[in-house]
Amino acid sequence: MLKYIIKRLLQTVVVLFIVSIFSFLLIRIAPGNPALLMLPDTASEEQVKDMEANLGLDKPLINQYFHYMSGVLKGDLGNSTTYRVPVADVIPERLITTAKLTLTTIILGTLISIPLGIVAGAHRGTAVDFFSMFFALLGQSMSPVWLAVLNVYVFSVVLDWFPSMGTGGLKYIILPTITLAYPMAAKITRVARSGMIDTLSEDYITSTYAKGIKRSVVYRKYALKNALIPVITLIGIQIAQFLAGTVVVETVFSWPGTGQLINQAVQNRDYALVQSMLLISAAIFTIINLLVDIINSFIDPRMRLE
Amino acid sequence: MDKKVLLKRMKGNPFFVIGAILALVILIVCFCSPLFIRFNPIVNSTAEKLHSPEGLKNGLSGHIFGTDQLGRDVLSRLLIGGRFSLLIAFIVVILQTLIGTILGIIAGYIGGIVDSVIMRLCDVFLAIPNLILAIAIMSVLGSSPKNLVIVLVVSGWVSYCKVTRNSVRVVKNQDFVHASQVMGAGKMHIMMTQIFPNVTTNLIILASQEIGNTILIEAALSFLSLGIQPPTPSWGNMISTGRTYLMVRPWLVLVPGIALMLTVLAFNFLGDGLRDVFDPKRVS
Repeated sequence: MLKYIIKRLLQTVVVLFIVSIFSFLLIRIAPGNPALLMLPDTASEEQVKDMEANLGLDKPLINQYFHYMSGVLKGDLGNSTTYRVPVADVIPERLITTAKLTLTTIILGTLISIPLGIVAGAHRGTAVDFFSMFFALLGQSMSPVWLAVLNVYVFSVVLDWFPSMGTGGLKYIILPTITLAYPMAAKITRVARSGMIDTLSEDYITSTYAKGIKRSVVYRKYALKNALIPVITLIGIQIAQFLAGTVVVETVFSWPGTGQLINQAVQNRDYALVQSMLLISAAIFTIINLLVDIINSFIDPRMRLE
Repeated sequence: MDKKVLLKRMKGNPFFVIGAILALVILIVCFCSPLFIRFNPIVNSTAEKLHSPEGLKNGLSGHIFGTDQLGRDVLSRLLIGGRFSLLIAFIVVILQTLIGTILGIIAGYIGGIVDSVIMRLCDVFLAIPNLILAIAIMSVLGSSPKNLVIVLVVSGWVSYCKVTRNSVRVVKNQDFVHASQVMGAGKMHIMMTQIFPNVTTNLIILASQEIGNTILIEAALSFLSLGIQPPTPSWGNMISTGRTYLMVRPWLVLVPGIALMLTVLAFNFLGDGLRDVFDPKRVS
């Protein structure tokens, strides 16, 4: 057990190390002077010289990288050219806003999809099963771009039930939540359904039938737990993806979270911010995946052997 | 697998049949569109701004889906935009398959340190969400069709590599591969002629599913004005500009939106159907 966790931990460190090299190289593969990219357009020649010295552009790349990383590890992610404050000051608030949206989305998405997937898997070939597959395939084909704008059109323009953008009370969070939750629910429904079907075909389930245990008890007590293992993995990945930035949805609904921040940073050519968001997204994503793997290895000991 | 059995299963799978027909129709209509569209999709015509959809009132020569804020025919833009999106998706999927397969076969067959290096590389790309990676690279490279293809390939080759590597690891321990080795075949020969033909099934399934995915990411990038740049039409940027007129001219968004949904749906049906056709035991 401990061996597995240590192994996964080491892998995570290696991955994050390579990601940090990548995010470091990002502004150096860009055409033009990296120092100019890191500064506002109005920067004076002196500021450019300072920035060049700060980035250590005259030194070898490897020294530049160590300089960059020692800053990052101390929490210095550079200065945002649009906000004119350190990047590290901008991000936490955005992360909390995104976390709120993530929470409502996960709640709505799982409440719909897990029961639907489980029931569909347990009653294969019925009307419920067919509906669940249709629901899932349609959801997976919905571009967030299209679904977001469609929701605005239907619920804000035509029905006038919810505001189309901004933050505030509960009614502001509903449309972005629906938009994010549907494609997620589609994926989870499929995984829950196939998890249930796979589990129900296992020998140990057949033997519980042979013992004369009631079908509903078999489903609840024996099948459900194993069927939900892949679902937990998927929910973990989804949380990670949402926290790392749901760019399109946050942009359409003007939801001031990390996704909108990345998009604004790109539009404003605020490279210190882009670079940091890349690094932070990857860190969140990798660490949540690590947690999911560890949780899974507790639930299902077979995972540790892989 | 026997071709007759496959054909029979294809016919018996409603998802595959619907997906295949829909995809084929969309492909033919989009790729042949330069032959029959009546309006230039790029040139503005200020006299004809924001006409409502006429349907077939004026026959095929009218603005069937209306015109946009610059007086351009929405149907013409839709078809030409679809052609770009589909073309890019196909190029991207072919390149992804190529890179992913080659690295996957090498990792799976040679194993050891090479395998570890390639797998860690995959982990790195898996560690950054696709769209974020694409946005970050696009922002430094600047948007052009060539960069768009590069970015989409870079952010999506990993799944092919992983799938291929895992199937190779199963195949390489089979008797016919050992037989080849005993007869003195080189590594290159074994990889290309013995192993590759045995891992294509999974690749075909994956590639057909990835077409829909690639179209979605391209639409998102174009929507965020990091993909295909106006005045060249794409479904993503049509939705993006149409959004401003949502209150009064909803068709500017609904038309490309529905097209996008149907296209992705078609390729998802096709991919899912193909998987069931090749492997009827597996549940979706």
